[in-house]
Amino acid sequence: MDIGKIRNFSIIAHIDHGKSTLADRLLEFTGTIEKRQMREQVLDTMDLERERGITIKAQAIRMEYQGYELNLIDTPGHVDFSYEVSRSLAACEGALLLIDASQGIEAQTLANAYLAINHNLVIIPVINKIDLPNAEPDKVLVELKNVFGIEKDEVILASAKEGVGVAEILDAVIKRVPPPKGSSDAPLQALIFDSHYDIYRGVIAYIRVVNGIMKPGTQIQMMGTGAIYEAIEIGTLKLGLQPKDELAAGEVGYLISGVKNVRESRVGDTITYSKNPAKEALPGYQPIKPMVFCGFYPVNPGDFEHMKDALLKLQLNDAALTYEPETSAALGFGFRCGFLGLLHLEIIQERLEREYGLDLVATAPSVIYRITKTDKTEILIDNPSSFPNPAEIAMIEEPFLKLTVFTPAEYVGKIMELSIDKRGEFKGMEYLDPTRVMLTFDIPLSEVISEFHDQLKSCSRGYASMDYEFIGYKPSDLVKMDILLNQEPVDALALIVHREKAYYKGKLLAEKLKDVLPRHQFEVPIQASIGNKVIARETKPAMRKNVLAKCYGGDITRKRKLLEKQKEGKKRMKRIGSVDVPQEAFMAVLKLGT
Amino acid sequence: MLSIPFGLYIHIPFCKKKCAYCDFVSYANKETLIDSYVEALVNEIKASPLLFPSPSKMERSGTSESSDGVRSIYFGGGTPTLLTPPHFEKILNVLITDYGSRVTDYEISVEANPGTADKAKLKALRQLGINRLSIGMQSFNDKHLKTHGRIHDGRTAIRFYEDARAAGFDNINLDLIFALPGQTLEEWKSDLQTAIDLKPEHISAYNLIIEEGTPLWHLTHPNLQITDYGLRVTDHGLRITSEDEEAAMYEHTIATLTAESYKQYEISNFSRPGYECHHNINYWKMGNWLGIGAAAHSHVDGKIWANPNCIEEYIMDAGRRQPDKTGTPADEKREAIFMGLRLLDGLPEEKFTGFENELNGLIAEGLLERSGGNIRLTRKGLMLGNLVFEKFI
Repeated sequence: MDIGKIRNFSIIAHIDHGKSTLADRLLEFTGTIEKRQMREQVLDTMDLERERGITIKAQAIRMEYQGYELNLIDTPGHVDFSYEVSRSLAACEGALLLIDASQGIEAQTLANAYLAINHNLVIIPVINKIDLPNAEPDKVLVELKNVFGIEKDEVILASAKEGVGVAEILDAVIKRVPPPKGSSDAPLQALIFDSHYDIYRGVIAYIRVVNGIMKPGTQIQMMGTGAIYEAIEIGTLKLGLQPKDELAAGEVGYLISGVKNVRESRVGDTITYSKNPAKEALPGYQPIKPMVFCGFYPVNPGDFEHMKDALLKLQLNDAALTYEPETSAALGFGFRCGFLGLLHLEIIQERLEREYGLDLVATAPSVIYRITKTDKTEILIDNPSSFPNPAEIAMIEEPFLKLTVFTPAEYVGKIMELSIDKRGEFKGMEYLDPTRVMLTFDIPLSEVISEFHDQLKSCSRGYASMDYEFIGYKPSDLVKMDILLNQEPVDALALIVHREKAYYKGKLLAEKLKDVLPRHQFEVPIQASIGNKVIARETKPAMRKNVLAKCYGGDITRKRKLLEKQKEGKKRMKRIGSVDVPQEAFMAVLKLGT
Repeated sequence: MLSIPFGLYIHIPFCKKKCAYCDFVSYANKETLIDSYVEALVNEIKASPLLFPSPSKMERSGTSESSDGVRSIYFGGGTPTLLTPPHFEKILNVLITDYGSRVTDYEISVEANPGTADKAKLKALRQLGINRLSIGMQSFNDKHLKTHGRIHDGRTAIRFYEDARAAGFDNINLDLIFALPGQTLEEWKSDLQTAIDLKPEHISAYNLIIEEGTPLWHLTHPNLQITDYGLRVTDHGLRITSEDEEAAMYEHTIATLTAESYKQYEISNFSRPGYECHHNINYWKMGNWLGIGAAAHSHVDGKIWANPNCIEEYIMDAGRRQPDKTGTPADEKREAIFMGLRLLDGLPEEKFTGFENELNGLIAEGLLERSGGNIRLTRKGLMLGNLVFEKFI
């Protein structure tokens, strides 16, 4: 295919603005897949994605339309995965900026649009869901003008669900998105914008050839790691792998090279020939850094190996997931895992429980703290229970974010309250249009990762959206709060809190624990303490009556079942010292909100 | 000829109205089926190899060996007193008259509900040989009786008791329930005292269990957890008793009845010496029992089986099934412990072979104790019995 007839583009949008539905329509319209092959939202292959209605893995697909080759690269929409989005965009020359006509510009719309602009992509604005009764495309046009300077005549009105505007979109892609620049004669430079582990084929890298021609049977080199592999098979993507003899400059496709682990085939890395390498790698490669951590412990200690195996397998396809074995006096052997964000954490937890059948306890998510000790050394801690003795601490710093919140004007007050309660510092406010506002705050990451998003949604009746970026470390007045059950500290329940909130959080936590802890044959004191000082206390009363009142001849089987159920329930609890602690207790720490 | 001793249970699944807490197999508005049901009972009795191993031999010799196994008869329900004296006569005749029997020497109990029999009916039942009456009082507090869908009020209940005495019953049990939603300790104390003042020979005092699927269940917290035994206050207007209130009511019950010379012989059962319910003791001692009628359960010679719950299905099949041939084996050892410990005297230590670890652990925890060759619940074990039973099931 003549490089002038190639168009590489992506669809960027805020979550639920209709990206996947539009992708479906484009595929249908261009005849890329037949109606009968159509499964709703084709590009989301994972069950979990489909269930939650979100895209986790980026995928790509080649369409042919009016003599042009159109490569559609799908991108994840969530703030946790912005690095993956940026790499997908680096493979494109244009992007459809999709906005829901009833919602307007939201946080990820803006975030992704800026990413696209920073990659010098041509932006084709599309207002979607015009079929909805509460659609207000005119309002969105105003927002587009105010925020991006986009004129009305550049905008396409569409309804992916109804199939309206699809032809216009394809025409716009052909007319407005430039063909890729690059030369097939230059030394090979191919960008890995995604990779996926397949149990039969090994890692499949999704690539965009920028310069040169990639052929199978050649020796290639990953420029980031220096590792050399053989290009076993290359080809294009069309709902399945289609092997080809070559991929030329400007084209998008896949590469199988016998790599066993996605870490060796890193998103953002450049592939070149080992015999005739390019002088420089393509710009923008960054090793992925996890931001949020938590401990995963199998409820059943015998499951440890199984969990290890499961994490290994998950990591094959998730370059951002990190894990390391760790031990807890309370919970035994487990793993400290690192994630891009809370959504990433929840997805991994759910996959471990569902796909691998693991009963697990997750400790509260934590961030990395930077501690300067009194002897001037600096340490990084990702687990509250490994905090040093308070006497040795000179300063504690925590990661801060620049938080952007989009909201209808009427909720500004509540959102300000929420953010300030979470130790956010108000930085500015801008009107997107007369009814919608963009707020910015500097706020600690630790306050955002526990339930902030849910609370933002509740106080704005679901209308607000948020995005954030890491801006560095700042010192805070933080302390470690310990939880003691029956006089024993439970390391897995320890929390880092701001000193001024410690009493309040300690009391709340003690009350929640009292609620979820079952009665024992003895009274259980529940205490929150900072250092040696107990700041909150509750007592779980002892069990007083627990006996089946009635059991006659015909009841035996049924009552046995009841007792067996009670017994099973106990097994799912973790015994810490002399106290049985249910999973909910750890969740209580996790969900310590308001 | 084998004559294993066994208790005979006959189920009468008819009710005028279902109570809010009831999860027994019983049906309202099916009284038109009573006649055919009684026919079916008679057929099942006649066809039971346990009751009549070889009828032809019986007819020849005319002896009563066949029914010699029966040691107690219990008519349970539902509301057995919805049957008429002729119905009872028909059933008992099969055992007493047709094949001759000394069955009336044993305990024959009938469950009765105030409002379903007058003095004349009670007298007729007494004359048929029924010698024990178990009256479903539950409470004497009209407000509670109403919430729970009972068809009588406190005064009717007391009058019924007096009628029963007048009819000649000298072995009467009163069934009571405490920890009704909304009930206070004071209200229970009052109910208990009213019962004691009537001077029955036997009192069963049960802690209410809110069973899944009953109207009371639906009125209470939908996430009632079975793992955490405490019941919680709901937002439906019906206040559920807390674990602590239940404990207080139960402790009061034991203390008061003991002081009034009722002996607690089982977790919920109290009686004057000599007036324990033999039929029920057979259950707790894991003897043999034969169940006749819809939904009735049997446990004979290590095998268990049950009749279908549906009345119509039962009527169609009775007399033609051979359930005791298809029964599944009971988990004898564990069940013997689980049931035997319900009796306050406990059961012999030999029954615990294979469970020495559990036994020693529970003794160390103060939940079980040795007493004259037996193992029994301590007072603490009585209150926390499930913790003990769990170890053996």
